[in-house]
Amino acid sequence: MSQASPIAIERPRTRSNLRFLLVAGRVLLGVVFLYAAYAKLHFNGSWHLGDYYFLFAMGIDSYKMVPLGIVVWMARILPWIEVAVGALLVVGVGVRWAALCVTGLLVMFMVALTHAALGGLEINCGCFGNNSVKPSHELILDAGLLAVALAVTVGGFFSRRAGKSQA
Amino acid sequence: MNRFFLKAIVPIALVALLPMLSSAGPKQSSQAGKPATALDLTALKSVGSKSAPITIEVFSDYQCPQCRIFYLETARQLMQTYIPAGKVYYVHRDFPLSMHSHSREAARWASAAALAGVFETAEQTLYTKQEDWGATGKIDDALSSAISPADMKKVRMIEATQGPQIDAAIASDMALGNSRGVNGTPTIYVFHKGQMTPLPPGGVNYSLLKQYIDYLLQQH
Repeated sequence: MSQASPIAIERPRTRSNLRFLLVAGRVLLGVVFLYAAYAKLHFNGSWHLGDYYFLFAMGIDSYKMVPLGIVVWMARILPWIEVAVGALLVVGVGVRWAALCVTGLLVMFMVALTHAALGGLEINCGCFGNNSVKPSHELILDAGLLAVALAVTVGGFFSRRAGKSQA
Repeated sequence: MNRFFLKAIVPIALVALLPMLSSAGPKQSSQAGKPATALDLTALKSVGSKSAPITIEVFSDYQCPQCRIFYLETARQLMQTYIPAGKVYYVHRDFPLSMHSHSREAARWASAAALAGVFETAEQTLYTKQEDWGATGKIDDALSSAISPADMKKVRMIEATQGPQIDAAIASDMALGNSRGVNGTPTIYVFHKGQMTPLPPGGVNYSLLKQYIDYLLQQH
């Protein structure tokens, strides 16, 4: 009768723990992005699907980083990108690409927030609509989310490669 | 008989009138004892028609650079475009920040100018000459360069005699701002169809605000 070595038992357990953490991470990211979109589309007690982008454009413009034409365009599409990637991450479909997109968005947000913090701009980050906090505080939150997003992205690509090599 | 009648009726009339006269006395004194709440400067520090479909309320500090930029680059254009057409009612609220050494004094002078009927000139002067009086604290000099001597005399007199009432009016604006969570300037609120929408802090580009106002006006 052979006994399984402790190392052999430990490996699958570690792997399943890691998998659980990655699932929790992607769901957390998805919920945060869905909430960010919700806060931009629903405020003052009602949905603002027709006029959400005016206020969000003003928020983006307060960073003084991009021309007005791009500001309005960004304000129109960004909440819907957040809805799409948030939903994909929560549901668990196209996780690698959704997480990669979230990583890119978070890097972009952090560049803008750093610019605001270094420039001493007294603005709200606009990340969560009217519930937003100061850019310096948001920077800390985004740094944490970026770490999770990177882990989910790398984990997603590695598990895909591992699956292919097994096949 | 007539003389007797007069002698009788005059004391009776006086006795009858006495309570009325005595009740008028305390009323006057109670009005004089209401320094803070009796002075509402909102209408005097507002531009446009109160019945306009959109009200824009701005909490600002005359010494704040962002407020200056907002006033010069956005508010003035807004006033020129929408106020003559009766589409926007623009309300100024004082929110002097403690970090600015002369902003409360400037708000007091602007309120005195409002009581003298020259608020718009005073507001414009305070913003355009912000660097001058902000450095020296000589607000009177800055206003004198734009307001006529006769009006300036009125402003000085009001500033000297109604200081406590004006301070109370400024405190009332600040209390309103604090109740809404205002913590910086300029903080702008748009009121439309009974709904209050706060705009992102730090001032707003005119072109974006115009697009938003035009959209709201189309909803009528």
